[in-house]
Amino acid sequence: MNISLLKLDPVSRRVFVERLAKTTLGVTVLPTVLRAEDEVKTDNAALPGFGKAKSVIWLQMIGGMTHIDTLDPKTGETKGPKDAIATKAGYQLGGYLPKLAELQSDKLTIIRSMSSKTGVHAAGQYVMRTGYELRGTIKHPNLGAWAQSTLGVRNKSLPSSVCINRNSDHGNGFFSAAFSPIPILDPDSGLQYAKMESSPEITDKRLTLLNKLDSGFRAKFQDLNLKNYTDFYDDTLKLLGSEDLKVFKLDEEPEALRELYGSNKFGQGCMLARRLVEKGVRFIEVSHGGWDMHNDIDDAMEEHGTTIDTAISALIGDLEARGLLSSTMIVLCSEFGRTPKINSRSGRDHYPKVFSTMLAGGGIKGGFVYGSSDKEGAEVADKQVSIQDFHSIVGHGMGMNIDQVVMAPNGRPFTVGDKGKVITDVFA
Amino acid sequence: MKISSLSCVASLLALGMTASAAPPAPVPALIPEPTKQEAPSDKAVYRLWHDVQGRTVDATFRGIEGENVFLQTKDGYVYRLPFNRLVPEDLAVAKKLKPEGLGIPADPNVARAAQKIDEIVAIGLKSAKQEPNALANDEQFVRRVYLDLVGRIPTREETMTFLADTSASKRAKIIDKLVSSDGFNSRMFDYFSDMLRITDDAQKAKFFTYEEWFKDQLRLNRPWDKIVYDMITADGKLLDGGASGYLLRDKGMRLDNLSLTLSTFMGANVACAQCHDHPFADWTQRQFYEMASFFGETDTYKSKSSGGNKGAYGNLRKELTPEELKKSKKLFLANALTITDGDKNDVKLPDDYKYKDGNPGDPILPKLVMWTAEDKKLPIYAMADAALKNGDSKEDLRETFGKWMTSPQNPRFAMTIANRLWKLMFGVAVKEPVSDLDNIEGSSNPMLLTHLAEEMKRLKFDIRAYMRLLCNTQAYQREAITKEIVAGEPYYFPGPILRRMSSEQAWDSCVTLAIGDKVDEYKLKRAESYASVMKLSDQITADEIRSKLASMGRTMSKNAGAGKNAKNSKRKMMTNEEVEVDQTHPAVLDGLVLARASELQQPEKENHFLRMFGQSDRQISDSESDEGSIPQVLMLMNGEAQSVLRNQRSLVLSTSMSMKTPEQQVESLYYSFFSRKPSAVELTDAMAALSSGLTVSDLTWVLFNSREFIFVQ
Repeated sequence: MNISLLKLDPVSRRVFVERLAKTTLGVTVLPTVLRAEDEVKTDNAALPGFGKAKSVIWLQMIGGMTHIDTLDPKTGETKGPKDAIATKAGYQLGGYLPKLAELQSDKLTIIRSMSSKTGVHAAGQYVMRTGYELRGTIKHPNLGAWAQSTLGVRNKSLPSSVCINRNSDHGNGFFSAAFSPIPILDPDSGLQYAKMESSPEITDKRLTLLNKLDSGFRAKFQDLNLKNYTDFYDDTLKLLGSEDLKVFKLDEEPEALRELYGSNKFGQGCMLARRLVEKGVRFIEVSHGGWDMHNDIDDAMEEHGTTIDTAISALIGDLEARGLLSSTMIVLCSEFGRTPKINSRSGRDHYPKVFSTMLAGGGIKGGFVYGSSDKEGAEVADKQVSIQDFHSIVGHGMGMNIDQVVMAPNGRPFTVGDKGKVITDVFA
Repeated sequence: MKISSLSCVASLLALGMTASAAPPAPVPALIPEPTKQEAPSDKAVYRLWHDVQGRTVDATFRGIEGENVFLQTKDGYVYRLPFNRLVPEDLAVAKKLKPEGLGIPADPNVARAAQKIDEIVAIGLKSAKQEPNALANDEQFVRRVYLDLVGRIPTREETMTFLADTSASKRAKIIDKLVSSDGFNSRMFDYFSDMLRITDDAQKAKFFTYEEWFKDQLRLNRPWDKIVYDMITADGKLLDGGASGYLLRDKGMRLDNLSLTLSTFMGANVACAQCHDHPFADWTQRQFYEMASFFGETDTYKSKSSGGNKGAYGNLRKELTPEELKKSKKLFLANALTITDGDKNDVKLPDDYKYKDGNPGDPILPKLVMWTAEDKKLPIYAMADAALKNGDSKEDLRETFGKWMTSPQNPRFAMTIANRLWKLMFGVAVKEPVSDLDNIEGSSNPMLLTHLAEEMKRLKFDIRAYMRLLCNTQAYQREAITKEIVAGEPYYFPGPILRRMSSEQAWDSCVTLAIGDKVDEYKLKRAESYASVMKLSDQITADEIRSKLASMGRTMSKNAGAGKNAKNSKRKMMTNEEVEVDQTHPAVLDGLVLARASELQQPEKENHFLRMFGQSDRQISDSESDEGSIPQVLMLMNGEAQSVLRNQRSLVLSTSMSMKTPEQQVESLYYSFFSRKPSAVELTDAMAALSSGLTVSDLTWVLFNSREFIFVQ
């Protein structure tokens, strides 16, 4: 018979978990709050917007989001299949984003002068997630891991960062596995198997035996991944004792609200992100594929443009209604933009030279456009922003000292945003 | 008289033993490898052996083969001693002793080739002042070689058979058996489908014909150069021939596809040059476009709804209902996946081209890249030039490119696959990352890299033969490294590294624990029925469309079959649960389809064991992950896999339960999970747990959740 841990009263659950922790040998239990020189004055701390974003919802579009058909519409030769639409904030958005235009445009900052050098997917996604170029010799952390290391965790029993609709790579980087985001590949299923399938007594005995029988093997190999696994078992047992596990169950939400986000993995992922923010999870990535629109961009935009328009509008509205928008930054980004010229297959190809990103909430200015591309959407016309600058903006908003140097295990120094600049104009 | 092992050659010859210091040319079958082998480790047991004339030699026992006993002296030489030369007491001892070390090689030619690799590895180790690891014992070896060659752990029976085998050439023999088994094809399919991003669903159609074509190539052991040549030069509909799947996977994305082709098959780190001159490497954007120009006459993109039947589609518009038209879109999309070659090259420099050697929009002629100035002396370049100049030749541009790329003379093609497969076996490549071989000197052992490329060519790109060779090296058969590996630091191969099982190895091992060696019986077949249902004739009519639509519905539900994830298929399968398996029906237990990863959906659904354990989503090459996570640990502790293994009908549990004593039950589980006997302490601990409230089923859970299970040493 299976007895759910969730059914135990809080006290027995805590005792149970403590006992588990004791029986789990050879495990480094990280302190729940890690602070590194938090008294140090940072140069960026005095700038506007510092630390307003208690949580970040990072929406990463996979495949290279076309800037001209979304955030930076054009009228000339490079115009997309759909006409741009006016927003209530005054600027224009691509024709596939009517809800954002009508409902939320006054809460957004659009950056239209992003530029990068990486026009291939894997390397582009890496640099957008970490702020560093992909190298064979070291893994760099994403902002969620940076925040956990410098700001600590906000909820003691839930993980500090979660990534939805993707695996946990490009996560902890050179930090330990405890800084790795918890991956939720399917938001509808949430966190599966979060119920011990044996009674606490039996589980206790099993784990005691496991640690005894496996100790020789664990001691023999000085392998980081092996050690990480042992840590993951410990973290998992800790999580199982959390009273907040229900946060992963989307079926607790009213059906109507779920539909408002859109009945797809991205929409439901955004809703799960909101639930996690409510519980104090600091960094949540929701990714959404399908943006590699080399062919037939109109069809593809109908599908994916509509998906994000619906989900992000609902997310902003929902956060606002709960009073969480001022403390939650929403970030929309992609590894690069797409060619201004429509190709012979009615699609657009990779284009890192200029593209757009979007920010909202958590101290970000509303109804604001920063920087611009030229009239074709082919070059940065004004105020170029690098991916490192972008990371610095978000890191600053989260309250991190972007000048603080952290030494990686290989002895090399790293900072949040790789020495990018905080662009204070985007903060209210 | 006692003879010293250092001056024994003459005396041994007098004894009737054979030994020689240098490898003689052709070695007749069954004569043991007479070359010097790795000296036995310090732990090896030496004893004095007596011949019938009263002479002795201090040596370890290496095995019995035919009517001969093989002994190895401390200096590494292996000797053959016919039975009738040994005193009966020693012969009796030999027949009982467990052989030490590697055993004797089955094929002297493989043995010599393996030794050559070992010598080069040794040079690398020496240059770094490192020592090789000790040889792995038989238990470590059998588990590793099964996982590496057939992608799963050995069953308890297979392990015990191997361990009990006293044949001196048993390691070589098991390698031979495994590389030519079905399991090997599954293992290689898993590897290549990550590398090539093979998916069931792409371009709004099913790529079943590509998958099964690729599996056929592996089954027939077609040489790698031939397989790749076919993929690069394939013509026609995907529904007609699977080889076209490689280019059609990236339909209408010629530049991205080329970037993958160059890095995956030739380790050319050109991806950046797609947009601008490479900042570190020598590749320029112009060179990238010159290579792209080889595909400039090739069209993988057809107007989506025409399927090449634009006129026919227009006519059907009037005859079919809007509903039927909508449904038939799938049919047209599947038929539109086709490769055709024209005579107009449409590759031009991009609109934002900014270098002095060309202007945006300039047409670009095909030109092959070289890695060094020496390369242009290779005849293959002259041949390609001649083909390009001869305008009216029948050879199209892709054929010229394919011949050059897959030629043994290509400076990187053989080396790239050799380096990749080395990584598959050792956990680290000679040159990392495998997609960048621009700078060979930057590898930990450039001589080894060059030699492996030469071996790949000598073996004529025979993947099985190459893997067999690698497995026969001592470098492979050593213990795994126990020290921490620092990323970015050169690795000199004192042994393989400790690896976490790939998702496919872990899943296939679970299936093996549940149903044993029947794991390879079931084969997923979807291509034929899909192609026959989807393929439209050239003169398509409304009636044909209607009948196609009807059969589409039927086939789709059938095709979902084995691939469906556990949860969804649970309801359907509960009624006809079946542990029996045959070619067309997979085993099903607790609603879980127990088939090899290669015979399930490509890739599996997000909530399947495979994906949660790191299976690639097949969007980016080589993106299988070996990292743990909380959801993954939850699955290992509470998911379907552990629960299936604890089902009374699973092989691992039922075998253990059938044992008479608790000791035997524990031992049975240890052989099943770890391919070894439990130590005395482990046995005591497990027995104590069994007598204080835990069951054999709980012990199954414990071993399944141990690190020793999911890591390969």
